[in-house]
Amino acid sequence: MLETLLPILIFTALALAVIGAVRRIRLWRQGRPSRVNLFKGLVALPRRYLVDLHHVVGRDKMISNTHVATAGGFVAAAVLMILVHGLGIANPLLGGLLLLASASMFVGSLFVARRRLNPPARLSKGPWMRLPKSLMAFSISVFLITLPTVGLLPEGLLEGGSSWLLALVLAGVVAWGLGEMFFGMTWGGPMKHAFAGALHLAFHRRAERFSTKKGGAGRSTGLKALNLEDEAAPLGVEKPADFTWNQLLGFDACVQCGRCEAVCPAFAAGQPLNPKKLIQDMVVGMAGGSDAAYAGSPHPSQGLGGKPVGEHAGSPHGPIVALEGKALVDADTLWSCTTCRACVEECPMMIEHVDAIVDMRRYLTLERGKTPNKGAEVLDNLIATDNPGGFDPGSRLNWAADLNLPLMADLKQVDVLLWLGDGAFDMRNQRTLRALVKVLRAAEVDFAVLGTEERDSGDVARRLGDEATFQSLAKRNIATLAQYRFLQIVTCDPHSFHVLGNEYGELGGHYVVRHHSTFIAELYDAGRLTFAPWKGGSVTYHDPCYLGRYNGEYEAPRNVLKALGIEVKEMERSGYRSRCCGGGGGAPITDIPGKQRIPDMRMNDVKESGAELVAVGCPQCTAMLEGVVDASAEVRDIAELVADALVERSADDVTGASRRTTASTTAEEVIV
Amino acid sequence: MSEIIRRDPRREWIARNRLHPDNAAVLAALGVNRGGGAVSEWMGPNGVVRKDPRAIGFIGPNGVKRIDRSGLQQGGQATATTTAARDSRRTVTIDQPAFLVAVVPDLTGGRLSGHDKDLLGLARRVADADAEQPGAVVAILFGEYKGEGGGELKEQTLGEAGIDRVVHLDDEFYAGFAPEARLAALSAVEREMTPRFWLFPDSPLGGADLGRRLALRLGERAATGVWQVEADNEASLGWRCTARGAAGSLDIQRPLPRVALALAECAEPVDETRHAAEHLTLAASIPTTLSRIEDLGQVAVDPAGVALAEAEFILSGGNGVKQWDAFHHAAKVLGATEGASRVAVDDGFMARDRQVGATGTWVTARVYMAVGISGAIQHLQGIQRCDKVVAINLDPGCDIIKRADLAVIGDSTQILAALVAMVEQQRGGQRDAA
Amino acid sequence: MQPDLHQKQQQGIDVAVLVSIGRHPTTGRARRAEQDARGLELALAIEAELPGTRISMLHAGSQDDSSEAALRGYLGMGLESMTLLEQPEGSDAILPLVEHLAATSPQLVITGARAERGEGSGLLPYALAEHLGWPLVNSLASVEKVENGVVTLLQALPRGQRRRLKVRLPAIISVDEAAPVARQSAFGPARRATFAITTTTSEADSELAQWHLSPARKRPKRLKIVKAASARDRFKAAASKSEGKGGQVLTDVSPEQGAEAIYKLLKEEDVLR
Repeated sequence: MLETLLPILIFTALALAVIGAVRRIRLWRQGRPSRVNLFKGLVALPRRYLVDLHHVVGRDKMISNTHVATAGGFVAAAVLMILVHGLGIANPLLGGLLLLASASMFVGSLFVARRRLNPPARLSKGPWMRLPKSLMAFSISVFLITLPTVGLLPEGLLEGGSSWLLALVLAGVVAWGLGEMFFGMTWGGPMKHAFAGALHLAFHRRAERFSTKKGGAGRSTGLKALNLEDEAAPLGVEKPADFTWNQLLGFDACVQCGRCEAVCPAFAAGQPLNPKKLIQDMVVGMAGGSDAAYAGSPHPSQGLGGKPVGEHAGSPHGPIVALEGKALVDADTLWSCTTCRACVEECPMMIEHVDAIVDMRRYLTLERGKTPNKGAEVLDNLIATDNPGGFDPGSRLNWAADLNLPLMADLKQVDVLLWLGDGAFDMRNQRTLRALVKVLRAAEVDFAVLGTEERDSGDVARRLGDEATFQSLAKRNIATLAQYRFLQIVTCDPHSFHVLGNEYGELGGHYVVRHHSTFIAELYDAGRLTFAPWKGGSVTYHDPCYLGRYNGEYEAPRNVLKALGIEVKEMERSGYRSRCCGGGGGAPITDIPGKQRIPDMRMNDVKESGAELVAVGCPQCTAMLEGVVDASAEVRDIAELVADALVERSADDVTGASRRTTASTTAEEVIV
Repeated sequence: MSEIIRRDPRREWIARNRLHPDNAAVLAALGVNRGGGAVSEWMGPNGVVRKDPRAIGFIGPNGVKRIDRSGLQQGGQATATTTAARDSRRTVTIDQPAFLVAVVPDLTGGRLSGHDKDLLGLARRVADADAEQPGAVVAILFGEYKGEGGGELKEQTLGEAGIDRVVHLDDEFYAGFAPEARLAALSAVEREMTPRFWLFPDSPLGGADLGRRLALRLGERAATGVWQVEADNEASLGWRCTARGAAGSLDIQRPLPRVALALAECAEPVDETRHAAEHLTLAASIPTTLSRIEDLGQVAVDPAGVALAEAEFILSGGNGVKQWDAFHHAAKVLGATEGASRVAVDDGFMARDRQVGATGTWVTARVYMAVGISGAIQHLQGIQRCDKVVAINLDPGCDIIKRADLAVIGDSTQILAALVAMVEQQRGGQRDAA
Repeated sequence: MQPDLHQKQQQGIDVAVLVSIGRHPTTGRARRAEQDARGLELALAIEAELPGTRISMLHAGSQDDSSEAALRGYLGMGLESMTLLEQPEGSDAILPLVEHLAATSPQLVITGARAERGEGSGLLPYALAEHLGWPLVNSLASVEKVENGVVTLLQALPRGQRRRLKVRLPAIISVDEAAPVARQSAFGPARRATFAITTTTSEADSELAQWHLSPARKRPKRLKIVKAASARDRFKAAASKSEGKGGQVLTDVSPEQGAEAIYKLLKEEDVLR
């Protein structure tokens, strides 16, 4: 009886799965076209899955191993099962392998079950709670029905008239397992992640993110430009169908593991954003319906508690953000994001949350003119004065009136172009810039600044969704830079660093850009800087998002601190897990209320590390962290620490030089 | 020299009568005698300029005569006392003016504003340019004139501001926002007197509105935002003006037209002469126009709803405020608009639009009361245009104390409570009395 | 403007908004003018209150790239089109505007108080009112309601005070800083909006051409003139500190004493009502 039942069950499940897959694919194809090399992607899939994805998943060893056992067991078992039970190739060897695979899957599912016993808050419940049981049903039933194939059980055991009941029960369990694993995979069950995830990896919108056999940086963080030349091209994303098809596919790949939720600074601050919920909202919108079935933590609402689930609904061609009332997502959710990329960094499915959020912001800003709070003012300032503060662009170099900085306009050709950034208007950051100039002069670097020719890099405009202003600024900056010759750009602003280095390329500006910490580290390694030993207290280092996660520079700042004789007391969240200061993505401008402020949380991290000083490498971070009331630690830029420790380089009198106080070097500087 | 001023009615009469043959001589003598505003130069009866060298300069503290040619001081007498300053004004009467300069002051709150007085100073300059053929300044006053002091003194203020003639239109239909009725009245003045110049203060909701209306009615291209007027023989009316244009970014030099709207500080207010401020009435009755604009009166505005930038009394709370309910109550009782420091906003006690400072709103309040605000530089920047700053703080060393005109060191909750009690008691008292 | 709105159109009114090319105060770049944009915002608020209201936006001036960008700044607030009365640079804008308004006869005309470029005398709304014979209200804060050809307005007085006025339509209203802030201009609608260009008879503004225009000079600060009677007084006035800046600081006082001092100051400043 089973022998006749099993192929029917298997092939029915497979047929249903294919129908489901077609339906699912049609859902994705509602999205806008996006050019992807399908064949190349499919070929690259195994490597992307086994290498790149594994790096991310492997950060949690337990889950990584569990997944290897379960998923590996399942894939093997499914294939073998079709061969053995579906096509009836009752080869004992295949049967043996099938037993092994299902056993491995069963062991894996035990660990899955254990994790679900007392799941952390970040995990979604609902259908995900039944997944371990379904996994066990599949693995046990496959194991049992295969036993006779290998001859471990008499062939006729399940055939006898007395055991038809047993066979029927077994067939039922097989049906359950197949239902969850095959049918559910394409019809929207938890196993959807396997189907959508695999295709998402293959057709990922940022193929550059993945390593290749030749190496490859494996980093792609720049936002993609909108085509503003084409007046018919939509500006940003209004409705789910406005995403590209592979973005929609990516949303479907979400496993609701909540790692993004755990690292999101806005979520932790009680702002109405939960990256996981946002992605699930997009899935709901793609298929149409309400978010009532969502079983994870909701978007926090102002203060404590969360926004109730079930009040928001959408459809593929309905607006995501309502003009009035509620649609799929509230605008506040989108404006809470600091674009710190912690969620993208953590996501085991390599979903691009930040891209999606900026796409939706673009629509709100460019089509609706609804940039909240000070957003409109900042954008107007950028348009009228080329800087977000509305300062006179002619006063960009006023802070350096006494420094006699060399100008590109005079020199035309230098080694290093020093990009000052908008911090040139900020009195706090001017101290950093002064320090950096002092360091460059001490190392006798051939550098110059653009002076009043420099404009805002366009970072804030772009993160606020104003692609038009960004491109206008970028194109004018590129035109200015094209007049001069330089080997590299050095800047102390990671935001400018990222935009100049990673986002101007698409508009025709290709530069070698270095963060000042990287450049100082190089100068030190080349022996062009000498430091006095560190005499201060304990120091920790805060990784700026746009330096670390966006550009992978974690080492150079630490090397500089080490060169200064500082032993960095790492915070619990540092490196790629560094917590944002709250200053990115225009978040201080849109200023969405939460129950606490992000910089307060970060200064608390500093306090917990016990450090008396926090070294930073970003004007935004400096401003945000210094704005914390009653902070326990001092905030200094790396350039300031370096400038304070500078001693005059002298080959014959090293000891004498090292004893010199910083005051004397300052005097030296004045003479220069 | 005795403090008692001896009056000689005949000489004063001669002094007032410019056509009297002895006028100039008497004026010179009076100037010396009264020790202020001495006239050292005058036109003699035969058209020759006469100088009195003795009238130049003054006696220094050591009894030595001093002559100050810096122009800062003109013939001040060492012996003159400050109380005599009021009497030192020279009385000027212009009986037969060569022409008229009409001025329509705002009369904000029934009094001449500083802007009005500057404008009258400008009118005087224009009227007195030719000493032989002086013009007279006609002021057209709308609505109630409260003046300073009462009776005689009230009229004297008008004269001291440089007004020769007054047309006072106090009818009810000129009250409030009545541009059509006022314009009809000015048109009537134009018909009867045809002043050479019409001067208005270029102040919103006052001269700026009425002046432009009149200019268009007269078909004149008014000069607006005038801040400087100079004599110019080439100009048709003998004057050239500099006016601000293009939102204050441009200076326009042009001949002074018949109608001009001038900015505050366009000229020095009159301070050395006293004019007659003689009341005139219009001969013809002013035609009443059917107004298409009806003034329904001022609206009660909730101080809490007033935009921070506009508010005149702000109660601002910061990190040091511990009881926000009491703070809100105090704001309500005092009738103050609420403000906050960045920290108070960040901590969620106040809405973001209430933040005062460089990153919030720049405020211009008459009284700014900072409760528990230490005064970060950004905050002080935002309140630099406030007139009076009151600070309540526990820390006598914080920066806001240095800025404050009145600082009270102590517990803000208690002080606010005491203040609220005091205000309530006063109000209660008034109610009982009424 | 859709036919199915015909019913509602009955209660809506025709609003004409006059806009000019603004000038950013620090960089001098062309932009939407602050006050005119507030005027458009006011019109959009009327449209939201009163369905069927038709807004037509007018600009008289030359057509070039920088002014087009500035005009699109207004269009980005949510208009589909605007009318450009084309005339050469330096022409008088009043006549074509009067002609156009007389021909289209809107019920309400909204303008900014004064332009950010050129003469910026703020005479234009008055000229229109005089030529058209319509009532004019300046310094408007908001429009409360429009009913039976009468509009109820709030006029801004200093210090956030308001005055309620009733004006018979058609009327001209001008707005300044007291009107609500203009909404953000969005790139998409601004780019899509169209211009209806009308060439007009124009006269060169010959008078303006004769004037001497220069960037604004800083005005001299008025000095405090010391009317001292004696040299000693003058010396004292010159040498003494200019009005002791440091305020009064009350330490170690009871809350009541402190409150009393504050109360006295509030009374003096006359802010207690």
